[in-house]
Amino acid sequence: MSNLNIDAIKKRSFDAIVIGSGISGGWSAKELCDKGLKTLLLERGPNVEHIVDYPTAMMDPWDFKYDKQMPRDYLKANTIGGRPHNFQEDSAHFYVKDSEHPYLQDKPFDWIRGYQVGGKGLMWARGTQRWSKYDFEGPARDGFSIEWPISYDELAPWYSHVEIFAGISGNRDGLEQLPDGEFLPPHEQTCVEKHFSETMAKKYKNTRPAIIGRCAHLTEPKPIHLKQGRGKCVNRNLCQRGCPHGGYFSSNSSTIPWARMTGKLTLRHDSVVHSIIFDEKKNKAIGVRVVDRQTKAISEYFAKIIFVNAATINSNLVLLNSKSRRFPNGLGNDNGLLGKYMHFHNFRTTISAEYEGMLDRMSAGNRPNGSYIPRFRNVFKQETDFLRGYAAGLYTGRMTYNDTEGLLGEELKESLSHRKYGNWYVGSHMMGETIPKEESRVWLDDKQVDAWGVPLLNISIDFDENDNKMIEDFHVQMSEMYSAAGFSNIKTHHTPNEPPGGDIHEMGGIRMGKDPKTSLLNKWNQLHHCPNVIVSDGACMTTNSTQNPSLTFMAIAARAANHAVEELKKGNL
Amino acid sequence: MKRRTAVRNMGLALGSVISLPAWANAWSPSSLIPADLLALDEEALLAEICETILPETNTPGSKSLKVHQFVHRMIQDCLPEKAQDTFKKGLAYTDQQANKKNGQGFVNAKPSERKALLVEMSKAEESKDFVKLVKDLTVRGYRISEHYQLNVLKYKMAPGFFHGSVPVE
Repeated sequence: MSNLNIDAIKKRSFDAIVIGSGISGGWSAKELCDKGLKTLLLERGPNVEHIVDYPTAMMDPWDFKYDKQMPRDYLKANTIGGRPHNFQEDSAHFYVKDSEHPYLQDKPFDWIRGYQVGGKGLMWARGTQRWSKYDFEGPARDGFSIEWPISYDELAPWYSHVEIFAGISGNRDGLEQLPDGEFLPPHEQTCVEKHFSETMAKKYKNTRPAIIGRCAHLTEPKPIHLKQGRGKCVNRNLCQRGCPHGGYFSSNSSTIPWARMTGKLTLRHDSVVHSIIFDEKKNKAIGVRVVDRQTKAISEYFAKIIFVNAATINSNLVLLNSKSRRFPNGLGNDNGLLGKYMHFHNFRTTISAEYEGMLDRMSAGNRPNGSYIPRFRNVFKQETDFLRGYAAGLYTGRMTYNDTEGLLGEELKESLSHRKYGNWYVGSHMMGETIPKEESRVWLDDKQVDAWGVPLLNISIDFDENDNKMIEDFHVQMSEMYSAAGFSNIKTHHTPNEPPGGDIHEMGGIRMGKDPKTSLLNKWNQLHHCPNVIVSDGACMTTNSTQNPSLTFMAIAARAANHAVEELKKGNL
Repeated sequence: MKRRTAVRNMGLALGSVISLPAWANAWSPSSLIPADLLALDEEALLAEICETILPETNTPGSKSLKVHQFVHRMIQDCLPEKAQDTFKKGLAYTDQQANKKNGQGFVNAKPSERKALLVEMSKAEESKDFVKLVKDLTVRGYRISEHYQLNVLKYKMAPGFFHGSVPVE
C-alpha cells in the first residue's frame, strides 16, 4: 500500500462513528467527544446550523404567503410527508418529500422523516416523561414481547444525566407510575386544568392524576445551558421553525455545539450511510460505506466503534443492508428477527369538549406545553380485557371569535375589532401502548433501490384488536372523566382509517433483550453478535409504553455510549 | 401590475432578512405570473369587492392592506380547485349584476351601491357561495395583516410568559 493510501485511510479513521444526528445521535456524539474520542457524526441530509438555518423563525404572521397553509399542489404530491401535526408553511422545509424518498407500503404506514442535521429533533413535540419500573417490568408481568434487559433503577441515573443537560421543565408530582426527574420550574396549568385535576383526585382517589406536562424547555436556564449557548424559552410557541433562543432542546442547539467545543467532533452532512463494513478476519465492524447525497460518490470511513442512531426505521435499514459472508441476512441477524417486532403509539383517537364555567377567567401568553394524564389503566395490576393502557394530553383555553354572520362593510370591520370570548375548549389525545408483533416488520426490497443505490424498504405494520379495545376504553373513561368535571358537548374523534406512523413514535426492530435467540442487542445496546456496533435509538426499544419516547432514547444513548467507551478502554472492543 | 410588484416586494422584504426555505424557491414571485388565475380587470374588480367587505375607515381597509392579493393567492394556489370555478363565475356575475342594477360595472359603482349589491348577492342562492368564499378569505387575510395583528390583537412574537388564569380583558 502506498503512503498516499495510508494517509487517506488515516484521514478517514476515527475512534467512533455515529450514524445520524437527531436526538439520540446527538447524544452519542456528545458523550463520546466528552470522553475524548475522535468522533465522526454522519448525517444523510443537509446541514442545519443553529439559528442561521431556521429561515422562517423570525417571520411574522403577515410575512407568510398562505397564512401557514401549504399549496394544493404540494399537498397532492406529498400525501404522506404533508400529514404531520405541525407540518405547515413555516416548517414544511424540515420534512422529506414523498417523491425524493420512496418506500413500499405492504400495509399503509406514514413514514415521517426529517433528513437534516438535527433530524426530527427540530420538529418534535418536546414531551419528556420518564418511564417507571411498571413500564420496564410490563412485558415480563403481562407475558408479551420479551423481558427488558434493563430496569428503571439502572436507567434512572442516566435519565438524570440527560435531564440536567437538556433542561426539562416539570413539577415534582411524586407519582410512582411517572417518576420525577431533575426539573426546571414547571409551566402553569390553566384554571380549568386545575379544576379537572382536583375533580379527578376526589372522584378517583388520586389514581388518575392530571399534571402539568414535562417538556424540554428552559423555563429557567442553568449555567450548563448558558454554556451551550442557549437561553430562556420566551414562549414563542413557534418551536417547529427551530428556536433562535435555543429555548427547547435539539441536537442543533445543544449536543452538537457542545461536542464541537471539545474539538473532537467532525460533522459530515450530506452523507447517506449505505452500510456498515464487517471485517471477516477481525470478526468485527470496521467502518461505514457512505454515498454523498449530492455527488453520489462513495467513500468509506473507519472507526473502532460504530453507533447506529439513524432513527428507528432507517437504523433497521442500515443493518439489513449491511450484508457480509458472516451475516448474509443483515448485520447481527443470526436469529432472523432483525426488522421484526416493530411497534408505535396508538394515536388513533381524540376527545373534545367545552366547559361553561370560569367564564370570567382566561389564560394569557403562550405555553409550549399542555397538561398530561399519565397511564391509569393496568398500571399496578391487570384490570381490563386489553393489555397495557394509554396516556393522554389535556389542552384547554378560551375560544375566541368575532361575529361576522350577516355583516358587511363598516359593521363587519367594527365587529372584528372586538374579540368575544366563548366557552373553554377542552381536548385530549390518546397515546396508547401497542404490542410488538413478529408480523410488524420492515424488510429490504429485492428489486428497487433509491437514488443512492440503497434498497427500498417494505413496511408492514398495523393496528390490532388490542388497540381497538383500548380506543373504546379511552372513549368511555375519558367521557366519564370529562363529565365528572362538568364538561359539555363531549365528542370523540376516532379515525379508524388513519394508518399508523403519524404518531412519529415508531420503535423496535433491533430490540434489546437478555437472550441472543430472541433479541438483537444486549443490555448495553451492543449487537449480541457484533459488539462494537451499538444501536441506541428507537430501534432498540423492546416495548413502547405510553410516554413520549425521546427522553428515554436520550438516556439509553448516553448510557450505551459511556459503556462502550469503558469497554474500548479495557480493550474489549 | 400593482399586485405583481407587491408580491415581488414581499419576496424582497423577506429576502432582505432571511433566505426563503428550499421549498419556496420553486415558487419565486415571477413563477406565479404565467399561472395567474385572473386578468387585470378581474383583479381590480376583486380589489373593490374586498374593499366593500372591509372598507377603509379611520383604519386601513382591504385594498391598502392588499388583502385582495391574499384572497387571489389562496384561491389560486391553496383552496380546492372547485373554488376557482366559483370564484371566476362569481366575479363575472358580480359585474353583470352591477351593470343590470346601476348601469355600470362594479368598479365604477358608488360604495353604497356596491355594498347593497353584495348584501343582496349574499342572500341569493346563485351567488351566496361566492360571497361567502370571498368574505371568509377577506376576513382571514385582514386578520393576518400587520395592521390587525399589531393594533388589534397586540401580537407579540415572544410574550415571555404564560399565565393559566387571568381576568378576561
